[in-house]
Amino acid sequence: MKKLSTSKIFYCIYIGIIFAFFYLPIAVTMFFSFNSSKSLTHFTGFSMRWYVNLISDNEIMAAVSVSISIAIFATIIATILGTITSIGLSKCKKIVRELLLNVNNVPIMNPEIVTAIGFMILFSSLRISKGYMTMLLAHIAFCTPYVITSVYPKVKTLDPNLVDAALDLGATPFQALYKVLLPMLKEGIFAGALLAFTMSFDDFVISYFVTGNGVSNISIIVYNMTKRTNPTINALSTIVISIIFLTMLVVKIVPYIVRKRRKETLHEKIS
Amino acid sequence: MKHFKHMTGPYILWSAAFIVIPFLLIILYAFTDGGLSLMDASFSLDSFQEIIDPLYVTVFSRSFQVGLITTALCFLLGYPMAYMITKFDEKVQPILILFTTIPMWINLLLRTYAWISILSDNGIFNMLLGKLGLAPVSIMYTGISVNIGLVCNFLPFMILPIYTSLSKMDPALLEAAYDLGANKLQAFTRVVFKYSLPGVLNGVILTFLMAISAFVIPKLLGGGQYTLLGNLIENQFISVGNWNFGSAISFILAVVILFTISFLKRIDPDDED
Amino acid sequence: MNKKIIELKNITKTFEHHQVLKGIDLTIYENEFLTLLGPSGCGKTTILRIIGGFEEADSGSVIFEGTDMSKLPPYKREVNTVFQKYALFPFMSVFENVAFGLSLKKMDKKVIQEKVEHMLHLVGLRGFEKRNINQLSGGQQQRVAIARALVNEPKVLLLDEPLGALDAKLRKEMQVELKKIQKEVGITFIFVTHDQEEALSMSDTVVVMNEGIIQQIGSPIDIYNEPKNRFVAQFIGESNIVPAIMKEDFLVSFDDQDFKCVDHGFLSNEDVEVVLRPEDLILSKPEYGQLTGTVTSITFKGVHYEIIVNSHHRDYKVQTTHYYEVGTEVGMSVIPDNIHVMHKMKEA
Repeated sequence: MKKLSTSKIFYCIYIGIIFAFFYLPIAVTMFFSFNSSKSLTHFTGFSMRWYVNLISDNEIMAAVSVSISIAIFATIIATILGTITSIGLSKCKKIVRELLLNVNNVPIMNPEIVTAIGFMILFSSLRISKGYMTMLLAHIAFCTPYVITSVYPKVKTLDPNLVDAALDLGATPFQALYKVLLPMLKEGIFAGALLAFTMSFDDFVISYFVTGNGVSNISIIVYNMTKRTNPTINALSTIVISIIFLTMLVVKIVPYIVRKRRKETLHEKIS
Repeated sequence: MKHFKHMTGPYILWSAAFIVIPFLLIILYAFTDGGLSLMDASFSLDSFQEIIDPLYVTVFSRSFQVGLITTALCFLLGYPMAYMITKFDEKVQPILILFTTIPMWINLLLRTYAWISILSDNGIFNMLLGKLGLAPVSIMYTGISVNIGLVCNFLPFMILPIYTSLSKMDPALLEAAYDLGANKLQAFTRVVFKYSLPGVLNGVILTFLMAISAFVIPKLLGGGQYTLLGNLIENQFISVGNWNFGSAISFILAVVILFTISFLKRIDPDDED
Repeated sequence: MNKKIIELKNITKTFEHHQVLKGIDLTIYENEFLTLLGPSGCGKTTILRIIGGFEEADSGSVIFEGTDMSKLPPYKREVNTVFQKYALFPFMSVFENVAFGLSLKKMDKKVIQEKVEHMLHLVGLRGFEKRNINQLSGGQQQRVAIARALVNEPKVLLLDEPLGALDAKLRKEMQVELKKIQKEVGITFIFVTHDQEEALSMSDTVVVMNEGIIQQIGSPIDIYNEPKNRFVAQFIGESNIVPAIMKEDFLVSFDDQDFKCVDHGFLSNEDVEVVLRPEDLILSKPEYGQLTGTVTSITFKGVHYEIIVNSHHRDYKVQTTHYYEVGTEVGMSVIPDNIHVMHKMKEA
């Protein structure tokens, strides 16, 4: 720890360059969202005008509300559907389980564009007019597999006697579900929900193919606006990325701190 | 516990409707020739024959090329990164990994958009070149910009599996290698690299598959000029309206990818399922 | 004491083409400590799970105090279970675990508090209320599991290999403890184990099972001294099993010698098997023995020596407190009371 070896210094520089490669472009976009002029290369002075523009842009604000509301609804429904499926999977016949898990893996492994055109053909064949509803259905459909992949492994590790124990002590199957199973699965469910939310919120490819009637989410708006330089997009980008960045930090770091605290208090109690 | 087995019911119906049927529809369109309407469709392999057209062969070979270049670059940049991360203190490693993971959670469109403003002809990159007294270069809407975008996007997918493999390695193995007379290079090539091979394989195949099916990055950073498989599929469905041909390409892409991944899963000892 | 509490009538159960229970008839009485004993896979746990309501029998019925409860779900049965590996709820404290059943019944908080305290006192865990489950040792978790089941005042407590996860010393302690708790609460315990010593030392009644069939039901002493067949004799304790011929009532012949015995009611000259417990064989000088042989090995076992005596017909396992040099010629005798004659087991 006393001296940094030369190889360590070299490592730090290399890792720094890779992180710069990841984050610098994003940082630059964020930086120019506060530019007073339209230029994306010369910073002429600090201003919030692009943020004001953003709020008054009805088209963008509509897309923001579509993105948020679809992400919320899709997360809720996918989490419920994924959780009850995961619980059921651990109890059903082996053939059904393996078949369902394999089918469930298809949207995760398949290229997004193939999944997307699959939905598009499905909705067209059923003559469902494309718009908000089709986007929501598609989002639920591609988020649920991710919820299952984060909840099912947790279900698998549970002692199968836990539910029996609850029933034995007088709980009805429903009480056993929400008093015993759900609390034990909450970490997996939360991880699944978070994954579902970000997947839905960030999605472009699938939304692009299943939407219609002028319904757009943030990704579609950005896609349509990339042709012209538009600092309003920088402002939007700054807000969205900051929120996701902070959420990730909180989600990953808070449990770490909490665990550390708990350990400390435990030590205090013992000593 | 028998009470809960029927809870799979809803998802069996749901996945049939939203996973199995769409896939079957793609297959149906790929092997028929009736255009958009399925009423007067009949079995046909025309769509698959159409692929032999030089125009489309170029797209296939270009996608393949882009996939190879992206994978090679990701490996060359990602392996040292993964290796170096394992050399840090155990408390620092999770933080470095977290910062490698975060880009994966950030909206792809916004990250790609950021690259546009840097790489475009009057963007920051050329401005900096100008300040250094160098002539501006045209990167935007070329293979270079597409590759930069792809590498930036897929690099974490290369770093993470390699890191996972490396971090599982018992440091005593390295000591044993030195003890048995290996020098640093020998110890690396014969012990460390061999140990990380499952992660490398995982990362390489994942990156390659994602790169050949990429759609947004080549579209935004390559402009109309740079058509890859994903863009070809989009064209067929959105602009051309030839669903049969579009489905045929999707079908090939899906089959190749699903088979490769299930093969990868079978040989990967790290995967429990 | 002799009031019936549970009757199993012709219970059968098949899991994926494998018949685990092949027609079980069993009567369980009030206040009884009954043990289901058998090797793993013999169906003992399945019987427990059928009584608990976690599995449904393919045929037959479970009668509880005179009424059929075969179709009743577990949460409506007046029995509680202590599970293998305890199945404690890890996200709840000791108190919350024990209070789980009572709080489902919407009992008054004060009553719950009282009952839980009382139960924790009974199992020796006073002051552990706020502890986390994963802060407890195996033995303490075991006690919580017992308290959690007993606090609901079941009429029958089912215990599924509850001591299996404990080390040998703790196991012995818990055996005594369990017996004490059973006396104190005065209810029926149905205990499942594969450990014969555990079964013999704790039970009022032992049910020996093998391959889905009850082999013998009886008190520990009966089971040990009068095993009904070769399986029971081999499974319970150590024994020498010798093929023999029942010449007439009270006279059995083996190794070319006639022995007086106390068994009767066999056919004359029936092929039978004789059980001789190692501790019942008395060693002497060769001339005083009913059988003679040579000592081929001797092993010190703590309290006694275990000796193998080769009698020209077979090896006998003998327990003795005296030391014999390997190669010594010895005589062996057995008193009629200690000769146990069984019907020959039909080969399955």
